[in-house]
Amino acid sequence: MTEMQAARPGRIVLPPHRQRAHRPWRVRAREWARHNLFHSTSATILTIVTAAILGAIAFGAAWFVFVDANWRVITENRWLLFAGGYPMDQEWRLWFSVGFVFLLIGLAYGTWSSLGRRDHVFIALAGAFVVFLLAHGGAAIWSTLWFLIAIALLYAGYALTVRLPRAAGPGRTLQQRAVGGLLILALPIVLLVLLAFGGARPRELDGFVLNLVLAPVGIAGGLVVAIPLALGRASRMKAVSWTCTTYIEVVRGAPLLGWLFVALFILDDVIGGELIVRAMVVLAVFTGAYMAEYIRGALQALPQGQYEAAHAVGLNQIQSTQLIIMPQALRISIPPIVGQAISIWKDTTLVTVILPLRELKGNADSAIAQFEFTPDRIEAYVFVAVVFWIVAFIMSRISQRLERSLGVGER
Amino acid sequence: MAVVAGSPPPPAPGTPLLYRRDIRRMLTQGVYVAITAVVIGYVVTSLDLRDFGFNFLNDPAGFKVGNQWLTDVDGVTNSRITMYLVGVWSSLRAVLVAIALSTLLGVVIGVARLSSNWLVAQLAMLFVEVFRNTPLLVQVVLIYTILLVGAPLIENAVNVGDFFFLSNRGIAIPWPVPDSGFWGAPEWLVAVWVAVLAGFALAALRVRARRQELERETGQPQYGNRWAFALFAAGALVSFFALGAPVSMDEPVIVGTHYVEGMVTEPEFTALVLGLTLYTSAFIAEIVRGGIQALPRGQTEAANAVGLSGYQRLTLVILPQALRQIIPSVTNQYLNINKNSSLAYAVLYDDLFRVANIVQNKAGHALEMFFVIIVTYMLISFAISMVMNFFNSRVTAQRI
Repeated sequence: MTEMQAARPGRIVLPPHRQRAHRPWRVRAREWARHNLFHSTSATILTIVTAAILGAIAFGAAWFVFVDANWRVITENRWLLFAGGYPMDQEWRLWFSVGFVFLLIGLAYGTWSSLGRRDHVFIALAGAFVVFLLAHGGAAIWSTLWFLIAIALLYAGYALTVRLPRAAGPGRTLQQRAVGGLLILALPIVLLVLLAFGGARPRELDGFVLNLVLAPVGIAGGLVVAIPLALGRASRMKAVSWTCTTYIEVVRGAPLLGWLFVALFILDDVIGGELIVRAMVVLAVFTGAYMAEYIRGALQALPQGQYEAAHAVGLNQIQSTQLIIMPQALRISIPPIVGQAISIWKDTTLVTVILPLRELKGNADSAIAQFEFTPDRIEAYVFVAVVFWIVAFIMSRISQRLERSLGVGER
Repeated sequence: MAVVAGSPPPPAPGTPLLYRRDIRRMLTQGVYVAITAVVIGYVVTSLDLRDFGFNFLNDPAGFKVGNQWLTDVDGVTNSRITMYLVGVWSSLRAVLVAIALSTLLGVVIGVARLSSNWLVAQLAMLFVEVFRNTPLLVQVVLIYTILLVGAPLIENAVNVGDFFFLSNRGIAIPWPVPDSGFWGAPEWLVAVWVAVLAGFALAALRVRARRQELERETGQPQYGNRWAFALFAAGALVSFFALGAPVSMDEPVIVGTHYVEGMVTEPEFTALVLGLTLYTSAFIAEIVRGGIQALPRGQTEAANAVGLSGYQRLTLVILPQALRQIIPSVTNQYLNINKNSSLAYAVLYDDLFRVANIVQNKAGHALEMFFVIIVTYMLISFAISMVMNFFNSRVTAQRI
């Protein structure tokens, strides 16, 4: 087939929009395969080799998932993996937070974006994954119910806002402000629900819940640290820019694991408190330095005219920064900031490296030696990888939406 | 804090002092410096600095450091700083190997993502999505566990002709060691060899320059790099054997549950390097893809028009131009590899971070050890940046 094609170099290829018309799908599929898989001899060989590799991967993965792996490690320890040492009798606080966050996601999607068919499929698959995990063995009926309610809240929030008119107007502004305000307040509210009024102590945050709390704290705290840092580094006041630069470079100079050890061994004397709280501070301080660099890049990317125009219409420095410069700089720096957020999400796993050490301060060696490498661990790590992947994947998709709806890169 | 670029207008005469920008700026900085000083002062006073100092690094170590290569330090007589330097060497090895491998893999995957072959592009995308969105820590620990569980015990190690061993203690292969008489007794021999090598290197550079000159004049390919490499390799080999080839192969042997002799690649090293490579190459692939996509389509079409093959198009036209955009971002990834190598801690690979931690467990001095760690990481980062900046200036110096 390929030789025939190669022998007819003058073959007329219709433009794509005409190819589709009045052709049965078989012809179209064959045409597509010929263009994308078998367009030359080498391409055919490559296709066969790649198909073999993909087949081997798929077969290996399926074999592992359905035959080799012992998933009882996961199903029996699911609560441990999900919430670890979080007090069982306070379970409703976790589910309340999940429901609240899901509702907010629904509201936000309805306000600024929309759920397509792919999103519904993804939600259904991810939801089925969680429900299967929760309901497996039938022991956690209530947790399953809670989770289903949370999904329902997601769609309720979405249905509530998606029908509202999108055209600019006072109603739209009010809606945007309300949802945006709720989003900003979400983190403090969730922290209050989880920890205050008879909830858990910070040290009882554990498992997946800990990562889910640490990442937003790191991201939000990082932004709070980053904006003044970026402005400071770009400032023309030498004392300010010099200290901000030093801070950024020193923090970026050492790995996060190193800073977490600072939280473990050194910050104890400085700010005290529980290790988790110190780790949160370190995460914010660390993330802030990276985000500050992205915002500074955006500040530099703004055309000089923006500064001059702000000055020309009589705005003072604070006004021009707040009204003209920062909104644009933040918009430009959204893609890298979300990238950093995904990175922080993955880096929260590092906190679990230092947590076992808190009881044995000064004896890190024996704690790390407790790592047992039994065969079951492979299943556990694969499961953790999959869960982290799902969340990171959702974040990257949301960032793509955000980029499009904010019109980054457009004017 | 203020961001205003462009030169400020001079203060009008008669402006009240508090409204003058220079005065305000000075006041702001004064307040700022005062606040910073208070914060730093609080931190310093709350730390226990009674026995701050670095003398403890000179004391005998009293612990062992594993994963050594080309060094043989037992920790009984050696000082702590020596052990730390052994750890630094372990880190450097892992970082350098990971940088080389991730660059190679990243470029291949990045190019594959833009392949006209749909299936290849999908496979590359799968790779990127999987390894970019899972935590590096989980990857490293997972690989380590698989290596420990999946490989045979050392008692039943896979043995290929007594020179290649594979077990859960790692892979062992023969390794050349200089006989006494080369690095050992007559040092002048080494000096002679180094001098001869330098001579050949110079000659090779001359040949390369002349051939490149000829290529520019005639337009015919002269293969300057290949000739230079062949000349240098031949010279090195001939001089090596002329000096009596004072090197013998050190073949690995299993004694008890350990490899002795030979070069051993431990599972800790493999897990760390493999994890760093897979994770970083996913990012490098995206950078490479972005760099290629940023090129105007005309470049590909022009390369096709002058009849270059797909490989030639890539290596002669596309990649050299894309490098301008790729190098700065890839440098960042190299710096990340350097910092992420601290995850060696999780798989018990004795890199600088882990050795520093052991020292701190033995001797305390957390603050000093952290200071040492951060300075080391910064120095390595600085070295990487220097090399990459040099490379970058070479690339951008060529006019397109």
